[in-house]
Amino acid sequence: MTEHVTAWLEAYHDGELQGRRSRQVEAHLADCAACRAELEKLRVLAALLQEPPPAGGLTPPERFVAQVGLRLPRRPDRPAWQRALKVGWQLTPLGLLGAWAFAQSAFAAAGVLLAALQLGLGGDLAAGLLPASQSGSLLGELSGLSSAGLNDLGSMALRTLGHGGPLGWGVTLSLAIPAVIGLLYWSWLATWWVRQRRRPKVN
Amino acid sequence: MKDSAAPLVATERDLIALAQQGDRASFSELVRRHREGVVNVVYRMCGDASLAEDAAQEAFIRAWQHLPTYRPRSPFRNWVYRIATNGALDALRREKKTVDIDTLPLVHPGAGPEAAAEGNERAERVRRAVLALPPASRVVLVLREYEGLSYREIADSLEIPVGTVMSRLNYARTRLREALAPYVEGQ
Repeated sequence: MTEHVTAWLEAYHDGELQGRRSRQVEAHLADCAACRAELEKLRVLAALLQEPPPAGGLTPPERFVAQVGLRLPRRPDRPAWQRALKVGWQLTPLGLLGAWAFAQSAFAAAGVLLAALQLGLGGDLAAGLLPASQSGSLLGELSGLSSAGLNDLGSMALRTLGHGGPLGWGVTLSLAIPAVIGLLYWSWLATWWVRQRRRPKVN
Repeated sequence: MKDSAAPLVATERDLIALAQQGDRASFSELVRRHREGVVNVVYRMCGDASLAEDAAQEAFIRAWQHLPTYRPRSPFRNWVYRIATNGALDALRREKKTVDIDTLPLVHPGAGPEAAAEGNERAERVRRAVLALPPASRVVLVLREYEGLSYREIADSLEIPVGTVMSRLNYARTRLREALAPYVEGQ
């Protein structure tokens, strides 16, 4: 006969043993009357403990629930920083839209300003601000102004300013800023959608 | 504060989420679902039905107050049991109620003398033996024997190691077997 499994009997009785250990205890119990008797005592004790509570003296469930409901205090409001965070989250799309509008307006204004300078409307100011080499090429682009939108105007203005990178900083900026704003907006939208999906449905 | 109609068929997770947002009806549904278990746990801890109901109500109120901090890593039932058992243990400590079991009322004081002698005697001795256990062991026994929580769940509920759960359970059972020897050994 294998060694007694007294140390594992309670865990076995409680269904906490699994796999090899459980099989080991079962194999031992099959051969050991003393351990079987111990296990039986655990079962008898568990059965003894199961005497029902005094159901007759308890408050009916609905009344109990109502009593708890009446005693529920008003839950304290969220802290100010949490409320501010929530409002900020809700206003994020508006903020992004505003940022996009501001960026586009800035590009357009820069374009208009530069075009005006290159057309000579700024007088001596143009000579001081613009490199001489850009004046000629810009005039060609300005000829298509009537059909160009504000964005095109802005891009053109930034191309005029461009000096860095393969496309120039102006073009890079004119592409990057709307792209970043768009990315932020879509991320917000995706997060909002996921949260809506997770929100529990009543009924 | 919100107070929507309680969903008739809603998962516990949904109810918790709504209650966390302040929905009292959803919380009431949670109370309805866990009332019996919580009352039973507290009753087994303190041995008095009316005291158990008051303590259970307190536990639910405390659960409501702390619900925004609840994270569903562990089952809601275990979380409420932890609140209930902690409340019961605090009450026992406060009142230094190391169980003067002779002063406790009988389970069914209205029962006739014959019924009390026959039917209630054993149950009464069991109840008193449980109440005579130290609270720390008693709570482990109650959660295991009456609510069927696993060792891990008890450990999580009481925030103690699983090894401590096992040793306290072993201690409680050993004491009960001694106190109830005529019933356990005589089988």
